Amino acid sequence: MAELRAPAHPVSRRAPLAWTIGASIPALIVVVALVVAGILDVLTFPWWAWLLYAVLAGAYIVAMPRIRYRVHRWESTETAVYTQTGWLSREQRIAPMSRVQTVDFEQGPLSRLLGLADVTVTTASAAGPIRIQALDADVATRLVEDLTRRAEADLGDAT
Amino acid sequence: MLLVHPVHELVRFFPLVIGALVFGSAQGRNDPWHWLGVAFPVALGLTHYLTSRYRITPTQIELQRGLLSRQVLTTPLDRIRTVELTSTPVHRILGLSRVVVGTGGGGREAKKLELDALPVVQARAMRGALLHRVEARLGEVDAGADGPAQSSRPTGDEVLLTLDPRWARYAPLTTSGLVAAAALVGFLGQFTGRLVDSLEGSSGFDRARSLSLLVLAPAGLFGVLLLGAVLAVAGYFLTNWGFRLSRDTAGQSFQVRRGLLTTTELSLDTERVHGVELHQPLGLRLARGGCVEAIVTGLRKQGESRRSAIVPFAPVGVATGVCSVVLGDPTPMNVLLTPHGPKARQRRWTRSFNSLGWPAAAIIVALAWAGWAWQWYAAPLLILVAAALLAVDRYRVLGHALVGDYLVVRAHSLRNRRDVLARDGIIGWTLRQSFFQRRAGLCHLVATTSAGKQAYVVRDVPLEQAVALADDAVPGLVEQFLAA
Repeated sequence: MAELRAPAHPVSRRAPLAWTIGASIPALIVVVALVVAGILDVLTFPWWAWLLYAVLAGAYIVAMPRIRYRVHRWESTETAVYTQTGWLSREQRIAPMSRVQTVDFEQGPLSRLLGLADVTVTTASAAGPIRIQALDADVATRLVEDLTRRAEADLGDAT
Repeated sequence: MLLVHPVHELVRFFPLVIGALVFGSAQGRNDPWHWLGVAFPVALGLTHYLTSRYRITPTQIELQRGLLSRQVLTTPLDRIRTVELTSTPVHRILGLSRVVVGTGGGGREAKKLELDALPVVQARAMRGALLHRVEARLGEVDAGADGPAQSSRPTGDEVLLTLDPRWARYAPLTTSGLVAAAALVGFLGQFTGRLVDSLEGSSGFDRARSLSLLVLAPAGLFGVLLLGAVLAVAGYFLTNWGFRLSRDTAGQSFQVRRGLLTTTELSLDTERVHGVELHQPLGLRLARGGCVEAIVTGLRKQGESRRSAIVPFAPVGVATGVCSVVLGDPTPMNVLLTPHGPKARQRRWTRSFNSLGWPAAAIIVALAWAGWAWQWYAAPLLILVAAALLAVDRYRVLGHALVGDYLVVRAHSLRNRRDVLARDGIIGWTLRQSFFQRRAGLCHLVATTSAGKQAYVVRDVPLEQAVALADDAVPGLVEQFLAA
């Protein structure tokens, strides 16, 4: 019976923190905006609407990073890159090293503060890029070096 | 040659020119300034012409252009996937053609090299040189001068398909005409006020107005449909007149030639044709028709989807026959597809009812509760029946198969498509599971490729089947990640 196992490596231990912060910011902005609107009497909501929002947003901010940390995994072998992402829905992506075109290392401002980085691997297919988010910066650097070395070893235009 | 660029720039600036002329004459003054509106595009066209140069070396093609900002575009010859020759009516009168070279840079940027207004013979020779890499001594040629007439076209192409005008009967069955008709009706709607005023007195119009809505509405609808049908047929002939699909005797490239006013000749490198898509929108499917697009790298994906068409609307037998010849193997078109199981059928029903069925049922209940007359139940009942039929059909057409060198995928009811993708054109895999699919043990398996739609999806297939399919289709890739 054919079944895909999970990729070998989890992402950084600080990834849940990054995701929590990332999820909190929009929620906070919404709260501030609604409070201001309430103060200015433009838009008011009953107390139970606020409670509902607090419960839902709170549940999301607390639960999503933990679930995501369990799901997000990555693996890179001599011949392929394999990742698993998502939290409610799941996505597993496999790309062969022989068809890799570029390897990108990205750090947003939040990632840089936390010492994290994202690695993006693109293939000739517009639908094929593989993104490994929230890796430890040194792990990401090493991964980029490995991938570049392996991709260079293969000749051809990878289309 | 000199004429084409200025004329084209004039066409592009047409609204501005007309505006300038009208404004100028309305002013009544004999103002020389509004001739600037004409002079400017002409000057622009001239600079394009005078500053464009191209060169084909043994390894690449270079295009230099621009007056204020010089631009040099280079493309290595072995990255060239497609060459398209387009001739608008202006080009045709002057015996010219526009060359567009497509490369396989699909993922990041769809680069295309465009050379406007070459003599047709020279354009064809260039195409031969680019695609077949014949050792043609084209050297450095001014975009203006007449180059040596090198005919590197192989003699005797094998013709695979020519247009039969009777196929235009399929055109009204698609939505192409309806869109144009709706646009036209919308445009004319602006004038209804004046139309009504002018018809006010006539007896015929008064009689027409007195007819009940029950007669006028279907009559109006019929009118729009008729208009749509006429426009669809006209559009079909405009695009596909003289359609000819051929393959050169060496089997190295496919040529598609078509067009009534603007003629297009598209050449596809055989090596870069990774499969075919047989499109059968519902109307065509019921009439046993279809059309085919080639899955090829190097053609722009967005917008103009008809660019890779190799069979226009035609009987499905003809379309299937052409596909078999292009693929070199008749089995992918005829093979029976593996269905996706009871869970997939269940999902077809729930999805159909979630979007159509339950709202229709809710409307019926609401009508019953409000006690409305029976005529009003007709529409929601129709929708309910349609939802059920859609669910049945969507499951029936869902399937996949791995046969020979090809992966065959079929899905959708309204825009039914049978995708036949070459296995060595598959780059990687994506396995997607929504929350509900995880609970049902299903997934979407996506084969990513650099050609055509970039991703071909096997929908709602059981997870183990998907993994086994991925492993079989591209050996050695998925194996290392299988659970022991």
